[in-house]
Amino acid sequence: MDIFSNWIMGLGVALQPYNVMIAVVSLILGIIVGVLPGLGGANGCAILIPITFAMNPTAGVIMLACIYWGALYGGGICSILFNIPGEPWAVAVTFDGYPMAKAGKAGKALVLSFLSHGFGAVVGVILLTFFAPIIAEFALRFGPPETAAVMVLTFSAMTRLGGKSALKSLVAIFLGFILAGVGMDIVSGKLRMTFGTIPLMGGFNFIVAVIGLFGIGEIFLTVEEGLKMEGVAAKVTFKDIREGLIELLRFKKILLMSSLIGCWLGIQPGGATPASFMAYGFAKSSAADKDQFGKGASSGVIAPEAAAHGAGTCATLPMITLGIPGSPTMAVIMGGLMIMGLLPGPMLFKEHADFVWGFIGSIWVANVLGLILVMAFAPLFAAILRIKFSILMPIIIYVCAIGAYAVNNRMIDIYYMLIFGIVGVFFKKLDYPMAPMVLALVLGSMAESAARQALIMGRGNPLIFFKPPIALPLMLLALFLFFLPTFTKWKKKLSAKKAPV
Amino acid sequence: MRKADIVLALFLMLIGLLVIWDSARLGYGWGMSGPEAGFFPFYMGLGVVIATFFIALRAIRIFRKEGSGKPLILPGGLSPMLWILLPAVGMLLLTELLGLHLATVVYLAFYMGVVGKINWTKVALISIIVPLAIYILFDKIFLIPLPEGVWGKNILALVPF
Repeated sequence: MDIFSNWIMGLGVALQPYNVMIAVVSLILGIIVGVLPGLGGANGCAILIPITFAMNPTAGVIMLACIYWGALYGGGICSILFNIPGEPWAVAVTFDGYPMAKAGKAGKALVLSFLSHGFGAVVGVILLTFFAPIIAEFALRFGPPETAAVMVLTFSAMTRLGGKSALKSLVAIFLGFILAGVGMDIVSGKLRMTFGTIPLMGGFNFIVAVIGLFGIGEIFLTVEEGLKMEGVAAKVTFKDIREGLIELLRFKKILLMSSLIGCWLGIQPGGATPASFMAYGFAKSSAADKDQFGKGASSGVIAPEAAAHGAGTCATLPMITLGIPGSPTMAVIMGGLMIMGLLPGPMLFKEHADFVWGFIGSIWVANVLGLILVMAFAPLFAAILRIKFSILMPIIIYVCAIGAYAVNNRMIDIYYMLIFGIVGVFFKKLDYPMAPMVLALVLGSMAESAARQALIMGRGNPLIFFKPPIALPLMLLALFLFFLPTFTKWKKKLSAKKAPV
Repeated sequence: MRKADIVLALFLMLIGLLVIWDSARLGYGWGMSGPEAGFFPFYMGLGVVIATFFIALRAIRIFRKEGSGKPLILPGGLSPMLWILLPAVGMLLLTELLGLHLATVVYLAFYMGVVGKINWTKVALISIIVPLAIYILFDKIFLIPLPEGVWGKNILALVPF
């Protein structure tokens, strides 16, 4: 089978000593990033993108991706031991993980979290390995109208998945596109939205926006709540591992369903965070002992963790095949790939097969390594959180500033980072979702050129976007997803009126 | 918080209007060979204006019915946030003069010593070792140049490597 031989080749690339070393170092960095609130998967990757300039692309993408896998594994540690989510996708596991830890079963909670992550990763990477080549073949038939249609579908799905208000999601998306457009227009050479100022001529880089919005913003919000880092001490013993495995087998249906929910949401541009909540909700509603939830139910830990990791892994699938990142962190990784000159999409499979399969192979290797690392060293990673905040915090800001500067060697980017941080605080508080804005910023120029080329092809007729056989169903699906909640709301209102008062 | 909602929506609407105005300058119709430079931004700006209009409307309606709602910033929360923001801005301004690493030495020392009230030996050790380690890592090993500031280069030249 072609897939099989490619997979073996990929594993071969991934198991080269240099790549394994990069993977281990990046996994450790990723776990640390996942454990620390303020440094997240998205901006952790963003800060380290400039380091990848000095590496070959395969090693570079392994590094970035391993930070993501490490952050996925590590996010649960802070949630379970300190009741503080180290990552947005680790919020759901605080519900049952922390009560379990307080009841003295911290080791078991950690084991459940890590093993669920591992299982979610395996399901995700199996789906990835089998479906990536198929989707890539299909995507080869995409022209500008189809690409534009996929973008519309992506953003339409995001407006409904991210947060409560579709209007606010739309605003975030439009703002992201506007930010992406500031600076010189490639096609016409004209300066857009610079208002005569020189700093704005360089435009906004998504790395700076991500570090500011997700990193600095998160720090502001953390100190606002005055969080004290007093947590439960934990050790992971073999007894915990044994008990954890038994629990996993007991809840194998929830484990599998949660992983699949995660994979499904990872393929869509939602990511690990909505996946974890959805899986938690699913586990709770289908549980025999609902009232145990919130007090330390095992499946309350298993479900969100498996889903989060399944989502993270499957977020790679649309990214490498279609060029549509499946999660905000994957958007950053994709941005890194674009900077390295590798445009994700169907051509990547054709022209750089060894890179793609090396990457896929590394996902297999890294997630196994990550599981071992996190199980063995969890207490060590947790100890990082005991460092006094007033030491940790300025160092985090220092590292963020380096990340922001290193993108384009401009001081203004560090100032932008702080401004994005303030924006992030307001957006978070007033329910404007940031992930769609980042996605629009990353995809902005690609989306605009696809739309432009499509319109030129159609000679100005917007119906070109509805061209059968591929673009039409994509656009219809986009419109359907976007307007579905509006229709259901109207239907409810109408049937409420008909009911007797 | 509801008032802030209205204010932010109006502020974003203002940004949308600015974008539309600039797109008008660039032209948002059909040019010689395709959409003009302002085409895409125009519609994005228009989308922002329309969406924020409805958001502001909804926010005003809720505000009239239910009043102010929760406070935007938790009580006692503004002070810690400013204690992060202002020293960070100070560090950036200092960076323009001294370069990032030297400015960070001052920043770390200030934050740990004054805000965190950690004992000064620890402060001195960490404020020097961490930036030094990062300097070696980024400048020498990864070869990524970081801001040197107006005087930074001269001061760093005193360091023997």
